[in-house]
Amino acid sequence: MRKVLTVAWREFRDTAMTKAFIFGAIIMPVISIGLFVMIIPLLDSEDEPLTGIIAIQAPDDVADEIEDLLQNAAHPLQEQLNQLPDIVTNDPIAKNMLPQATETDLVYKRIPMDVEFDEKTLAEEGYVAFVSVPETLLTPMSETNTLEITVPTNLSVDHTDFLTRNTETAVVNARLKRQGHQPDAMRELLKRPNAIAMRIQEDGNVESDNELARRILPIAFMMLLWTAAFTSGNYLLTTTIEEKSNKVIEVLLSAISPMQLLGGKIIGQAGVSAVILGMYGSAAIIGLLTFALFDIVTISQLVLFIVYFIMGYFMIATMMVAVGSAVSELSDAQSLMGPMMLLLMIPFFLWPIITDHPHGTVAIVSSYIPPLTPFIMIIRTTSANDPLMLWEILLSIGVGYLAVLAMVWMTARIFRIGILMQGKPPNLWQLLLWVKRG
Amino acid sequence: MNAIIEVNNVSKTYGETKAVSELNLSIPSGVLCGFLGPNGAGKSTTIRMMMSIIHPDSGYIQVLGTSALDAKDNIGYLPEERGVYRKMRVGTFIQYIANLKGIRGSQLKRDIDNWLDRVELPGVKKKKCEELSKGMQQKVQFIASIIHNPELIILDEPFSGLDPLNTQTIGSIIHELHQEGKTIIFSTHVLQQAEEICDRIVMIDKGHKVIDDDIAHVHEAHNPNLIQVVPLDLNIDFTSLPEVERQSLTKEEDAYHLKLTADADPVKLIQSIAGSTPIKGIEIVKPTLTEIFINKVAETEGQDAAKATREQLAHA
Repeated sequence: MRKVLTVAWREFRDTAMTKAFIFGAIIMPVISIGLFVMIIPLLDSEDEPLTGIIAIQAPDDVADEIEDLLQNAAHPLQEQLNQLPDIVTNDPIAKNMLPQATETDLVYKRIPMDVEFDEKTLAEEGYVAFVSVPETLLTPMSETNTLEITVPTNLSVDHTDFLTRNTETAVVNARLKRQGHQPDAMRELLKRPNAIAMRIQEDGNVESDNELARRILPIAFMMLLWTAAFTSGNYLLTTTIEEKSNKVIEVLLSAISPMQLLGGKIIGQAGVSAVILGMYGSAAIIGLLTFALFDIVTISQLVLFIVYFIMGYFMIATMMVAVGSAVSELSDAQSLMGPMMLLLMIPFFLWPIITDHPHGTVAIVSSYIPPLTPFIMIIRTTSANDPLMLWEILLSIGVGYLAVLAMVWMTARIFRIGILMQGKPPNLWQLLLWVKRG
Repeated sequence: MNAIIEVNNVSKTYGETKAVSELNLSIPSGVLCGFLGPNGAGKSTTIRMMMSIIHPDSGYIQVLGTSALDAKDNIGYLPEERGVYRKMRVGTFIQYIANLKGIRGSQLKRDIDNWLDRVELPGVKKKKCEELSKGMQQKVQFIASIIHNPELIILDEPFSGLDPLNTQTIGSIIHELHQEGKTIIFSTHVLQQAEEICDRIVMIDKGHKVIDDDIAHVHEAHNPNLIQVVPLDLNIDFTSLPEVERQSLTKEEDAYHLKLTADADPVKLIQSIAGSTPIKGIEIVKPTLTEIFINKVAETEGQDAAKATREQLAHA
């Protein structure tokens, strides 16, 4: 066992305690977040106030509405923004990320309806826009429902959007007032109520449905599991190929058996996987705590996550090490990795279906197909409103870990033969023959 | 002497190629044994089977009285294909291999320093393996194979790729280790190297054993019963002597080979010729291992095979 641990420690040390790993797995994400945080104030500083003269050629009531809206316009998503929790609106970083209302300092020049306005002189005369609203646009059931706003070349997209949006609203307001309605009152009447689904829990309590958790949690858990297992599995592939191509493998096999080497490598990279999981998992927990959403994760989900993570890691690791031992160059691994990657991408394709129907046929059948089991089960356990039956969880764990044992056994047989092979890599059929022969 | 390695009726086939065929060997403890043969003879395959890195199709091998798998900590092995972790530091690499052989502690660090000095690689301990030349890497790997002070040392082509100076350094260490009582087996296709340092040889060709004996016995058994004499006057006839069966000029045509009768005593004859005839030199002709090997191949496989082997050895 000591030799296995010696191999495991080297595998861990030479992967996780290297500049490349520290840079790629720790420093890069930190730099990315740092850049993100730094860019937000820069984005904010880009939102200059809209200043200048606006020429308005419109019926008086419409022109009044336009002036009023441009001076006092709120952001179009203001209603939704008002519903955000205080923890978001009070957070200096999050606050900066929210859309802000456009500031204006405008002078309005009304152009009589019968005057021809030369749009080409717009920029020369210092105008920021020429708004033209024909009277016909206010007539009910009018055939035309288009108005034009002419702006100079250099007006920003945001400001152009601000002008068009508020002019459209101004026309609607004027139409409503001509019909004797109050626009604000009408808008209030048309506002859709917010229906909250209340669900009866197992303990009989009634709690509101957390749609966010139901949508985000499954993919977040699965991504975490997949990333941690696949990243270290990838390291396993490259270190195995490196040992073969460096010809150091025979030196190792003079000191230990192939099984000790295989065991050490898988244990060592499990440590790497745990470090990755720990880092990203901690970041996720900090995020949940920041937004006071930690209660959307249950202890049983965390326990099951660990159980399925170990299962998923061993499945990916054994496949990777089998491929790594069978080829001599990384480029040779591509042909064997293709079908494997396709298989491992299936949970991503099935995620939306399983999230919506965690007890559906697709979800149930795919739960018992290794190596999909851990990924599908983690989606199901985090997306189902009514918890999965205990027997389903136990059966998936049984099937999954039996599959792990079978995969370790098959990989050991491939590893024993492949590790000393050089030259042309085998195809999938030959790998199966190695399993039989090994 | 107890046998340290027993190879019993071992065969190994790769696809259509029979690499080793019904091989039987018994290597006594304490010998410095040359494992000889041309390229592709089956040397490395046999050694890998001795190390339990690969397994025979049939037959069995015992090393140190057990399977090599159970005796790995007591065997030092330098494979034919050299390999190191390129990014690993030299000291860390040797330490890692020693750890895998069950050796740890502060003494190990001192041993690593001592061995690096001994192979004339002082100051490379902190360097990465990839910063070393091939020859230096080979010496590092040699240290890794013996750092755990094994009882049995198996070296597969230890001198290939080394310059004459490094060959001498490694050769003298092998000699010292043998003097300390280690059993050393080393394979080579350069038969002359083995002739210089081995006290026992095993020759194989095409997976079959050709010779397995002490080097003295090999020479004795393949004694051509020849004396080479360089007379001052080439017009002399030695066939008048009763011990001389026939006389022939050497290739260089400056000396004679005298073929002796079966019961002749070469020492007495040398004394007799030296006392009666003006000569520049006289000596008993000892066959080289290359000649013995080619003769053996000729005996078992015919002259064509012997010719091919001669060419192969000449190009090695």
